[in-house]
Amino acid sequence: MPLDTSTTYPLTKLRLDGRRWNELRLIQAQISTNAASSGSSYLTMGNTSVMCSVHGPAAGRRGEATGSAGSAGAIVDVDVNLAGFAAVDRRRRGGGSDKKSSRMEVLLRSAFQSHLYTHLYPHSTISIHVSILSADGSVLAAAINACTLALVDAGIPMPGLLTACTSGMSGSALTPKDPRSDELDPLLDMALPEEQELPFMTIATTTKLPVGEDQMDEEQETGISFMSMDAKVHSTYLETMMAVGIDGCGQIRELFEGVIKSSSRA
Amino acid sequence: MSSQRQASSAAQVPHLSPAELSYLYTSLALPQNPIRPDGRSPTQFRPLSAESNILPGTNGSARIGFADGTQAIVGVKAEVERTVLISDTLDVDQDAETVEGAEESASAATGGHGSWVQMSIEIPGFRDDDALPVFLAEMLRESLVGSVGGNEDNGERHMAGGLKGRLVINKRWHWRLYIDVLLLSQPLSYPLPLLSLTTHLALLSTKLPKLKSTGEEDPFFDDDWAAAEYLYPRSSTINSNPSQQVRPPVTLLVISVGENVIFDPSREEIAVADAVLAISFTRNSDSDTGTDEPLKLLLTQRGIANSETENGNGPDSAAAAEEETPGVWRPRRGGIKRSVLAEMMKTALKKGGVGEEVLAGLEGVEVA
Amino acid sequence: MNDRRRVNGPAEGTRRPVFACHVDTASAPTRPQRQREPKAFRKIALETGLTRSASGSSYIEVQPSPPPASYNSLIPHSSSLKLACSVHGPKPLPRSAAFSPNLVLTTHVKYATFATRKRRAHVRDASERDLGVHLETALRGAIIADRWPKSGIDVTVTILEAEDDRWWADAPDSHDASWGMMNVLAGCITAASAALADAHIDCLDLVTGGMAALVSDDENPDAPPKLVLDVDPSEHRSIVAACVVGYMPGRDEITQLWLKGDSSNAVLEDGDKRTVHEALIDGAVTAAKSVHAVLAEVVRESILAAGQ
Repeated sequence: MPLDTSTTYPLTKLRLDGRRWNELRLIQAQISTNAASSGSSYLTMGNTSVMCSVHGPAAGRRGEATGSAGSAGAIVDVDVNLAGFAAVDRRRRGGGSDKKSSRMEVLLRSAFQSHLYTHLYPHSTISIHVSILSADGSVLAAAINACTLALVDAGIPMPGLLTACTSGMSGSALTPKDPRSDELDPLLDMALPEEQELPFMTIATTTKLPVGEDQMDEEQETGISFMSMDAKVHSTYLETMMAVGIDGCGQIRELFEGVIKSSSRA
Repeated sequence: MSSQRQASSAAQVPHLSPAELSYLYTSLALPQNPIRPDGRSPTQFRPLSAESNILPGTNGSARIGFADGTQAIVGVKAEVERTVLISDTLDVDQDAETVEGAEESASAATGGHGSWVQMSIEIPGFRDDDALPVFLAEMLRESLVGSVGGNEDNGERHMAGGLKGRLVINKRWHWRLYIDVLLLSQPLSYPLPLLSLTTHLALLSTKLPKLKSTGEEDPFFDDDWAAAEYLYPRSSTINSNPSQQVRPPVTLLVISVGENVIFDPSREEIAVADAVLAISFTRNSDSDTGTDEPLKLLLTQRGIANSETENGNGPDSAAAAEEETPGVWRPRRGGIKRSVLAEMMKTALKKGGVGEEVLAGLEGVEVA
Repeated sequence: MNDRRRVNGPAEGTRRPVFACHVDTASAPTRPQRQREPKAFRKIALETGLTRSASGSSYIEVQPSPPPASYNSLIPHSSSLKLACSVHGPKPLPRSAAFSPNLVLTTHVKYATFATRKRRAHVRDASERDLGVHLETALRGAIIADRWPKSGIDVTVTILEAEDDRWWADAPDSHDASWGMMNVLAGCITAASAALADAHIDCLDLVTGGMAALVSDDENPDAPPKLVLDVDPSEHRSIVAACVVGYMPGRDEITQLWLKGDSSNAVLEDGDKRTVHEALIDGAVTAAKSVHAVLAEVVRESILAAGQ
């Protein structure tokens, strides 16, 4: 019997690494890890570990700042570096950046360009450098989370914490959902073996920060600001997956708020 | 392109005025007790924090961060690879001179090959094939594979043939070692010592799975990671002298200013240096205790950081040779005297010198 | 794009077949032995001003050591160093370059594809870049760079024939460190220095490259290695350590130093107080001094010829 989540889950209701369907992996986060940058963070989600540093907002280079591109607001510039030792097998270097990391650069840039209050810094550049030290699933989500922490550390204003996680289904989920006998469960925070066999999506949500103390206990307004899926799933399952993902993002947000508060107190 | 922009925003190369450079040079060249900008003694290193074995997905890893925020992460990965046997050496040799042929093939089997160690260095703001990363990688790799010979211990020869020899599994298989060095921020000073120390730590913590097959079989390994063996073996006997164990080499940067020899220079100090020397060394495991040379030199390169020095920057000295204006930096030209060179190496390598201190310090880093 | 249709020959060339009936010890090629004294040099041919289109140029060739008497193989028994160097400039820096108050020196070292027994690629690889950096260091110390603000100079060395890293019939594993590269660097420094003089670039002195090595004896490998100048790597079974210097004899100063190898086991002659690496550096300096005599003579001749 192959040892993977799609076979063990229906039998035991436990995933390959022993988690239940709605459990996150252990998340550890640190901010202000690198003194040489404006803001930095180190984040591990299970065995995935990501390091992020932010430089800026700084004056953009002459060519861009004078152009029309920079006049509206700061340009967010992302550089993703997938370390050669990050994956199971050592990556063969083809010279320059590869497709995977340049795709992540584009996704991260689009996520944060619209998320940050860039209009406060016209003619400037916020450059984000992400190093993926160990890739064990949910890499994009980990990168978004690390960027958020580093940007908070750098003091760049944003409406709320942008947190991300992955959610998937415990089977291939290609046929329409059967409401009477639902065998498939949604899964939260996919590990690398699960990512390879099961459909999953990366989802990122943000909140409007409460304006005053009295609004604290009210339900915060949560909005999805980023979603990306490369797999094939029947559309009836989408809602379940999104619901689980949004819930996971909320858990991560609470955790991050604790990290940020404790580090600012220190 | 994006990283270049980061380079421009992150670390500005200090452009010092001639007066500042002159002041710096004079204070560094003070006889006996040079005054360094950050108040260190000539042989003192900048404070750093180090940890090893930080990445579970690698065979060995380490992180070192200087107080100024420069950080390097090194990951070591090992893969099993088939040794390309070139049944070479003209078969004649083996027929005619059987003794010599056998001896030769034996030496090839234990010798290993330098190309089995691959090193890549990533520095933000530089392309992979830029001169600086290539040059640094080549230098670090050269000293790594250059070290040969281990020590005789209980009749068993550890690390015969150095690192290269350790990578040999049997005649047909060997390990290939990938050492990936990641500098996390724009270098604020010449990154060589940082990279070398981090690589040293990572290699110290590197483990290879325990071999279960014997002899010339296709290799298979113990699945238990706890049984894995260190790449650089640690002696099992407690009373054995740590100074006799084979250790990966360390490369240090040394500069000379006037009569003074200064270790771990900052960028500003390199800018006024008369000479910059990179020295790679490791424990001389062959020597018995009590020899006066505890370290062995593996590689020395002069002027490696010359692109960073302000050599040749300033007024025409030939025209103004006689009338030297005090207080204005007049860059030094030319090379260095042999006596200065010898002094620099001696300070680094002598018993109880800086080199020994550095190795002992790295030994102290907890290997989890 | 790769040409997949053609069957290319092996990259390392082929060997003459040796048939079993022909095998006898007498005709089997033997490793060349060093005939010279430990301190004696191979002959050097050096000439300047060969490339008319460049502002300065030089060509250096080292005579290969003579083949053993019984040598009758078609394969050349050892290679000889041949390299050409040309200097372009001083010329104005391109508009895009940043301001520099000095002469900006760039060095390129390239092996010709046919320079080694194994064919080299057209693209510069790591070892060629490495050599370029070493050469730049050696020259930078000698050039009086502030006489040409806002200008650049290109030094290009083409290696037409490189020194072997090992004897050609040795197994590739027997010693893999690129010792031949150190000889090549010494040649590069000397040639570039001659070309700079030919281009009338102001220098403090003529920099020359010198190489020395510690080699262990072929007959009795257990004896301590001895110091030899101007080493042909193919003549020695194992080289323990080697050193290249860029040296300015007029000022007794070293501009570049590259010492590698594990010299911990080496023992010097009795009564020698120097450490092993000091002895190596001194040896390389002696070699550089001898080469300097040739270099100075060639430069003097070329100046006299130009004056007539």
